[in-house]
Amino acid sequence: MLTLPWTTEEHARRIAIGAGEPSWLLADRLDGLGLAASLPIESNMLFTSYVDLRAAARLADLEPYVQTGDATAISAELPPGAAGLLQVQEDRVVARALAPRLREAGVIVDTFAEVLRSRPVLLERYLANAPSLPPNDRIAQLARGLWTMGAFVYVPAGVQVEAPIVVRWGAGRAGRGLVSRTLVVLDEGATATVLEEQDATDLAAAGQSLWWGTLEVRLAPGARLDVAGLQDFGQSTVMFVNRHATLEEGSSLRWALASVGAQLQKSRIDNVLLGRGATVHQAEIGFGSGSQLFDLTSYTRHIGEDTTGDLLSKGVFLDRARGYFKGLIEIRKSARGTDSFLGEFAMLLAKRARSVAIPSLEIDQPNVRRASHASSVAPIDEAQLFYLQSRGLDRDTARRFIVLGFLEPVVARIPLPEAQDRLRTLLDRKWAPLVTAEAA
Amino acid sequence: MTLTQREMVANDRSRFDFKDEIVYLTETKRGLTRATVEEISALKNEPEWMLEFRLRAYDHFLKRPMPAWGGDLGKIDFDRIVYYRKPSEREEKSWDDVPEKIKQTFERLGIPEAERKFLSGVGAQYDSEVVYHSVREELTKIGVVFMGTDQALVEHPEIFRRHFGTVVPPEDNKFAALNSAVWSGGSFVYVPKGVEVPLPLQAYFRINGENTGQFERTLIVVEEGAKVHYIEGCTAPVYATDSLHSAVVEVVALPGSKVRYTTIQNWSNDVYNLVTKRAHAHENATVEWIDANTGSRLTMKYPSIYLRGRGASADIISVAVAGRGQHQDTGAKAVHLAPDTRSRIVSKSVSKDGGRATYRGHLKVAPGATNVVASVRCDALMLDDESRSDTYPYIDIQEDDTSMSHEATVGRISQDQVFYLMSRGLSENEAQNLIVQGFLEVFTKELPMEYAIEFNRLVKLEMEGALG
Repeated sequence: MLTLPWTTEEHARRIAIGAGEPSWLLADRLDGLGLAASLPIESNMLFTSYVDLRAAARLADLEPYVQTGDATAISAELPPGAAGLLQVQEDRVVARALAPRLREAGVIVDTFAEVLRSRPVLLERYLANAPSLPPNDRIAQLARGLWTMGAFVYVPAGVQVEAPIVVRWGAGRAGRGLVSRTLVVLDEGATATVLEEQDATDLAAAGQSLWWGTLEVRLAPGARLDVAGLQDFGQSTVMFVNRHATLEEGSSLRWALASVGAQLQKSRIDNVLLGRGATVHQAEIGFGSGSQLFDLTSYTRHIGEDTTGDLLSKGVFLDRARGYFKGLIEIRKSARGTDSFLGEFAMLLAKRARSVAIPSLEIDQPNVRRASHASSVAPIDEAQLFYLQSRGLDRDTARRFIVLGFLEPVVARIPLPEAQDRLRTLLDRKWAPLVTAEAA
Repeated sequence: MTLTQREMVANDRSRFDFKDEIVYLTETKRGLTRATVEEISALKNEPEWMLEFRLRAYDHFLKRPMPAWGGDLGKIDFDRIVYYRKPSEREEKSWDDVPEKIKQTFERLGIPEAERKFLSGVGAQYDSEVVYHSVREELTKIGVVFMGTDQALVEHPEIFRRHFGTVVPPEDNKFAALNSAVWSGGSFVYVPKGVEVPLPLQAYFRINGENTGQFERTLIVVEEGAKVHYIEGCTAPVYATDSLHSAVVEVVALPGSKVRYTTIQNWSNDVYNLVTKRAHAHENATVEWIDANTGSRLTMKYPSIYLRGRGASADIISVAVAGRGQHQDTGAKAVHLAPDTRSRIVSKSVSKDGGRATYRGHLKVAPGATNVVASVRCDALMLDDESRSDTYPYIDIQEDDTSMSHEATVGRISQDQVFYLMSRGLSENEAQNLIVQGFLEVFTKELPMEYAIEFNRLVKLEMEGALG
């Protein structure tokens, strides 16, 4: 159920008072907790039989961070090729930078705490009443009530940000947990790329840790956003994340999300295609080993006319790792001319690995360009292995190549070359325990 | 079926919606209590173990909450239903002995002709008791048993007790528990080792009597290497208040056997049709469910095959047509529990005039079930903007050498195709009808010819809006 000793109103008040937050913000927190109180951990009956939070059972002992992000004095060099940076280590902002040209153009890459001081009205407009979080999701509403760190990315109308804005989270200290929200707003006709990285701060941590966040995207008419995510937490970190995007007329969003780390990742993506011609492309991969569980839910709601949804999830599972891919495409009566596809594909590479796929459709409007889904589970194709071996590769290398090829559609869409290389290294490193086990 | 009868089907389906004034010789009071269950068992003069089975099921029925998923079950009032009704005192062997009133009903449905044409046996259920039954002599000679389930409990107690309730235990779900508590009638089929039944066995079911629940229980046991095709078709009169049909069908396909079970479900549009159908396929056995649902207000039915033995094979074709006021929540389940097993699920649904068609499926490959090949295909056709189509597939794979593929598409009739057919001289309605028939052909071609013709006529009537 995810009821922790600190998922309480008292705790929310303590955070708000400690940070000297305005009253609308406390009210918003309490609204979130109020909603959460009446929600089950999975509010969709379709998916209740596949909820496994055993890995989160020990979170009760965990101590949450309470300090909110205060970043007045911190600034740093931009990473090569990046346009902006916000880096959070456990509960501290350790780096913050923005290209001067963008700062002049009115772009914001900062913490909620800072924006509350500099542009309180702007933040209130996008944060109050949480229009960018699903009202029926307990995990999202608890985050709304209990966040202590907030990251805000804002691109004003007509501004084109070519290079990626990097938001980097570090977590993993034993016995500690961070609850955060990230809000990305693109005004009319703006374009941007956001790279969100989640890394382990302490790979050797003996105890469990928690990273619990959101990524809330608001796209005004004609805005275009690319989001790349690379999650590589340590094996004792539990991760909850809600990614929610609202797309107005003619806007477009591309997700490329890779999950490699964490003991348990429970994630939910909501794409709400409100305006005519809005488009979302979503590619998501999970590569699990050990006893990792990737619980990946995705909702796409077609509301406006002529909207497009193209969703692809891929999973590769070694050892006893598991992937739950739960998807739902809704095509509302108003959504004439929809084109929607949902694909969920998995490779099981070990006897005890497991893959669950629930690619669902709910369609109230038959006037569609396309509404379909596909799914498959299969081992590595022996013919492909044979071919690569005939070209001189040994069997293990051939297997790695085929798996990297299977996952490449997401890898290729990670924006920074260094980040892309890092992801390839991370994916390759997943094999290490298996190779040892096979040799032994 | 004769030409006249076909015309009857084609021209005026309301002729099926007649209601006979039957004087029921025995019926229980409305509502369900422990005493009702005991009374049913006593009326049937059942062995003690069956009463215990019924009571165990009744207890579970009370405990079990209503399913919160699927269709809207809110209007079912268990207290208003009559759970048992016995229309005639004894089972008839000869057609001449069947009471005149009931006979007329069956004659209007064309059962004797159907039998003469191609059926090897007829078991016709009128409300809660099998009243007419015949099996061709040659089948009896080779040991095939085809009779009412109640009669089988008396005449074949060992086979009955060995298999009854083993495929669908009373605790399986709320409606299986209800059926187990109050079951009456249904068909019992036993095919001995190595025997191939050359022609399909057939049973017709009808509901009559306002607020009569029909809780038939069908048990099919097919011994090693044997082969049988069982066909069940339904029509029912229309009543103003809701009627409940909650059947349990159990199929035991022993090693190397082959069983095909074909259903055309065409209940009237006030019936709740909540059915548990499940088969166990043992080593190298093949089970096929060929299942079409065109009638009822709400159907919740997911024919299932548990592949328990190495090399077993499952084939499920599920077809649904949802018209005005209807919700067809149908689908299929294949559960792979043994190595080298295969399954194929094909689902086709059509929704129109505000109807709702839902595909709900489950494909599971359990640990230990190596080298499984499975495929699921579901297609939905929506004929207008008022209708709705949902697809909920569950795919749970726990073996690494599984090969599973799944595909689904939803869409409306292609205007290009309609235009083409109209340019060849068909009216718009005829064109649409032809396209829908083509869409459903994967099902129709699996039917015996007589049924295929009748089914196409039924679809045509649905398309013309000529049906309820």
